[in-house]
This record gives sequence, structure tokens and C-alpha cells, in this order.
Amino acid sequence: MINNTNRFIPHDNNDEFKYSKNKADLDIKFNRVAFIFFVFFVISVIYSIHLIHLGSRKSDHQNKNPSKIINKLKRADIVDRHGNFLVKTVSSIDIGINPAETINQKKLLLNLGYIFPNKNYELIQSKFKKNKFFWFEKKISDENYEKIMMLGDKSIKSEEKLTRVYPQKNLFSHVIGQIDDNNNGISGLEKSLDEKLKKNKETIQLTVDKNIQFLIRQELIKYNKIFQTKGSAAILMSVNTGEIISIVSLPDFDLNKRVKIVDVNFINRATKGIYEFGSVFKTFTLAAAINEKIIEPETEFVDLPKSLTCAGFPIREYDNKIPSTLTAEQILIRSGNIGSVRIGQKIGQEKYKLFLSKLGIIGGINFDIEEVGIPVKFKWGKCPLATASFGHGITTTLIQLVKAYSIIVNGGFNVDPVLVKKNKKNKKEKILNQDVSKKILPILRKIVSTKEGTANLANINGYEVGGKTGTANKILKGVYSNKKINTFVSVFPITKPKFILAVMLEEPQINKDYIYEYRDGSNFRLKGSPRNTAGWNSVEAAGHIIEKIGPILATKYNEVY
Amino acid sequence: MTKFVVFILIFTLIISTSIIKNSTKGIEDEIYTVKENLLFLESRFKDTKLEFDFLSSSEKLMEYQQLYFENSLQIKSLQEIKTLEIYNDEIKIGDLKISGKNDQ
Repeated sequence: MINNTNRFIPHDNNDEFKYSKNKADLDIKFNRVAFIFFVFFVISVIYSIHLIHLGSRKSDHQNKNPSKIINKLKRADIVDRHGNFLVKTVSSIDIGINPAETINQKKLLLNLGYIFPNKNYELIQSKFKKNKFFWFEKKISDENYEKIMMLGDKSIKSEEKLTRVYPQKNLFSHVIGQIDDNNNGISGLEKSLDEKLKKNKETIQLTVDKNIQFLIRQELIKYNKIFQTKGSAAILMSVNTGEIISIVSLPDFDLNKRVKIVDVNFINRATKGIYEFGSVFKTFTLAAAINEKIIEPETEFVDLPKSLTCAGFPIREYDNKIPSTLTAEQILIRSGNIGSVRIGQKIGQEKYKLFLSKLGIIGGINFDIEEVGIPVKFKWGKCPLATASFGHGITTTLIQLVKAYSIIVNGGFNVDPVLVKKNKKNKKEKILNQDVSKKILPILRKIVSTKEGTANLANINGYEVGGKTGTANKILKGVYSNKKINTFVSVFPITKPKFILAVMLEEPQINKDYIYEYRDGSNFRLKGSPRNTAGWNSVEAAGHIIEKIGPILATKYNEVY
Repeated sequence: MTKFVVFILIFTLIISTSIIKNSTKGIEDEIYTVKENLLFLESRFKDTKLEFDFLSSSEKLMEYQQLYFENSLQIKSLQEIKTLEIYNDEIKIGDLKISGKNDQ
């Protein structure tokens, strides 16, 4: 027998259960939950990224031609200074038919015949036979759209498009310009403001006035017929702000017809056409001399010859009756060539060149439309200075001419012509002496009001018109021809200039039947124009324009001062 | 006690936030509806104005003048237009100048 006490009993502790809170076990559980949450979090982040990516990516079509998609979305409207629409974007619907999906062709054609009775259904039937998609009607009215959709034929497809409508038709064709089928501007403001028009929701306001534009255009068309011109242009601008109230270039075109303009005769003569304007430059010559304090209007030029020779070419007076002794003022009033050459010679080449560049006559200018001509580079020298003094051989654009005259008459402040209305007023920069305006303005008035002047036909009672005429021979194929560029730059009222009106007629002819009514109070009437000069055609046109637009300017245009 | 106050505070904030959020959602919906209606009305106004601008364009007005008012509408010269101003119950009639009222 074995004694229990001596027996060795192996003690096994393994089966013994003892519960205790083990911190390490809890951590494992927490980590598991955190891990699951982490996995879910990662999955949700991946999905979110994927969703954001899907939401922001562009379609292949959009990637290929992004501008096309953006362009179709919108295009801002353009209004005149009084808020009248000049261009308005309207959505239109084009209707197409896919013959393959037609349910009942005969019934469909019959119904379409009721809605659009004037269409050629023989042609449409032939298109049905080709079994290919075709456009049935473009830009249909809302009423017809509803009717056609009521037919319920699934072969009828509609597509919404944007269309530009021009309620003023031809009035602003050169200013507004055209757009292509993809809604991109190709000329005028449609081109220069292309990005702005696409981005802007707000309408763009111009400085022009549709009523004044209409009146000027109407008069210009009238005088184009009377003097059988090739084309013409006119600009009306505020001399102080540079705001263009009207800018007309003829011939023009109806923007609504969307015709591709290829004829060079449709050039914008007001901004793009580069011309020699002739005697209108004589004002610059005298102004430069006064600005440099070289001469005064009373300075006398004695024994002026009737002709000069420069580099073998003669320089003559256009009127042999011009006296040989003249003051500087009389030289401008009587538009003396030789006297102007003498003044030019006194100024000197460098000073005269600097003066013209200050006025923005030579070199290009920044303007709101891209169709701006750059004057032909002028080769300065002794003879060119002499010819430039009376406006021969030197070219510029009508818009630059208007700018330069504005500076001379507004007290010598720089002014930039603008078409798009600005809320902020630019700080005025004085570039000429105050004397220039004070001394030049009475002379410009005398050109219109005295018998010796060349612009009597623009002496409209009540407007105090002043101005300078310019008759130049047109260069054709590098040679001076008999064809004329006749210009009249008028300023009114001369006591405190507000407006400048430039009228240019290209290749006018003498009209033997036209009756001139003299404006000197004599009630004298003259049948037929004695000469083909600006004084007998451009001045007459400008006078009638001022007569028509004057009352509107007097009553409505306080704000442009 | 502090825990209870914090709990009540948070609970009140949650409730008030949800009430405010709910009411602003209503206002937002209203603003959206008004904006949509405004857009529609604006579009209609612009279309009507376009029609008006076309029908009252200078060219059309001249047509109407010839059709209906050929003898009753006449061009007035600047001399025929007068200005009328009242100073201390006295009427002063003056000539209209191209320089405008500001310069008179």
C-alpha cells in the first residue's frame, strides 16, 4: 500500500480558470474595430475621389473642342448709350427629320404641310427617299415648335441654338461686326470683345446713339447719291470724353442676313481706310507753330510766291486769287498751300513730327475694334516736311483725324476715342498749351462764317460751327489720280466745343442739278456745284447733318459734357 | 451637475441648429423659386424689349410717320425750341443752346 502522504501527485495548473480584466485583450478588440473603421474610411475615400473625378472630368468631345461648347452657352447682348438693343442673343430651335424613324411618312408630310404650307414638299419627299437625316426648318417660332412637337413623330428631332438678332439692321454693321457659325466673333466688336461677350452675363453698353446714327447715315446716303460717291464715312464724337456718338461707314450691310463680306468696298472707311486728307492738316501746322510759340495768328507772311518747287515737283496755290501777303490766320482761313509750307519750315521737321505723334496722327491708335488702319510710314525730309505742312503725301485714318482735332479744340487734353462705355473717367492729361485752342478756335469759326472761308455752307444758325475742309487727290496704284477724297472736320459750338463731326466723301462727282442754298442770310440759290472740292460737297453734307442732329444734341446731351 | 448642464447645452444646441437649418432650407427654397421666376421674367422682358426696340427703331418710326403722320409731324429747328424756367413764380423763356443747360 502506498502511503498517500509520500505519493507524488503532479499538480496541473492548466485547467484552472481564473478571470481577470486583461488590458491587452481590450486593446486587441479596440484595434479590430478601429481597423474595420479604417478600412471603411479608406474605401469611402477611394469612392469619393472617384466620384469627384467623374464629376469634374470633361467628355472626350468637350476635350477635343472646348471653345465650341462654351461658345454655345451664351453671348452677351450689346446696347446703345440709352439702353436700346443693338444686338440680342435669342435661343432658336432647328427642326430636323430622320426618315429612318418615321412611323407614317404620308401622314407626317400631310401634317407638316398644314404647319409649313410654303415649303417645297417635292424636295422634302426626295430627301425622305435618301433615308438620311436632314434639317427641315431652321429657327422656327415657338408656336410652330409646339405644333410640330404635338405631332408626336419620333423622327422629328429638335436642337436648340443661339442666334444673334440685330434690330437696327445696317445701322451699326461696321461697329458690331459679324460672328461665324461657331459663335466666334470675326469682325468689329464681336471680334474684339469676343471673350468678354462669352463670359459676361451683363449687357455691354456702347457710347453710340441709334437715333443720331440713323440721321447721320440717312443724310450720308442722300449725299452719296447726289454726288455719286464710291463710299463715305462720318464720325460724331464728344471732344472732352472721346465718346463716339455716331460712326458711319458706307456702304454697309444688314447683319441679320449673315452674308460673307468679301468686297473691299465694304471696308470700314471711318477706322480702317487710310487716306491723304489734304488741307485739314494745315490746322495741325498752325497749331504746332502756336504750341511752340513760333508764330501768332497775327504773324504776317509777306511776298508769298504763287508756287514753289521741291525736289523737281511744283507746289501751287489751289486758288490764284490768294493774296501774296497773309497773316498766319488768313493762311488757314484761305487754305493757303505756300503759306502753310512757310509755317511748317519755321517749325522744323523734328518739332512738327513730335507734334503730330502727340496728336496720334502718325502711327496706329488703340481702339475698341480691331479694324483700325495704320498710316503709311512717312519718310521725313526737307520736301516731305513742306508737303506734310499742307497735308500732301501724309496719310492717316478718319478716326485719328477726329482725335487730333479734339485735342486741338478741347484745351489741349489728350483724348482717346471710345466705343464701349466706361464707368470710370480717365484722368485728363494735358499735352498742348492752353493757347492753342484759344487761338485756333476763332480761326476755325471764320473758315465757316466769313466769305474768305471755304466752309460757308455749314454755317448753321444757332450752332456756332467751325471747321476745316480738306480736298485731296486719291492715290490709285501708287499714282495721284483725278479722283478726290473730300473731308470736312467741324467743331461746334465754337465758344465751348462739345462735339466734333467729320464727314468724308470718297470719289465724289460734280452734280450739275443740285441746288445750294447759301447760309449767309442772302437766300441766294446756286444750281450745280462749281468745283469738286470739300467746300461744295462734304461741307454741304455736314451742314445738313448738323441741322438734323443739332436739336437732339441740344436737348438730350448734357451728360456727355 | 456640470455634466448634466453640458449635456443640456449640447442637446439644446443640436435642437436649435436643426430647427434653424430646417427653416433656412425653406427660405433657400423660396429664394431659389423667386430667382427662377425672376430669370424667366427677365428673359420675357428682354424679348419684349427687343420687339419694342425693333418696332420703335428709327427706320420703323420714319415708316410710321409717312404712313400715319405725314402732315402732322414736322422737323423743328433749334430756334423754334425754347427753354422754360421758373424763378420765384416767374416764368422765363429762353433760347435753347447747343451747349446745353449746364452752360447756360
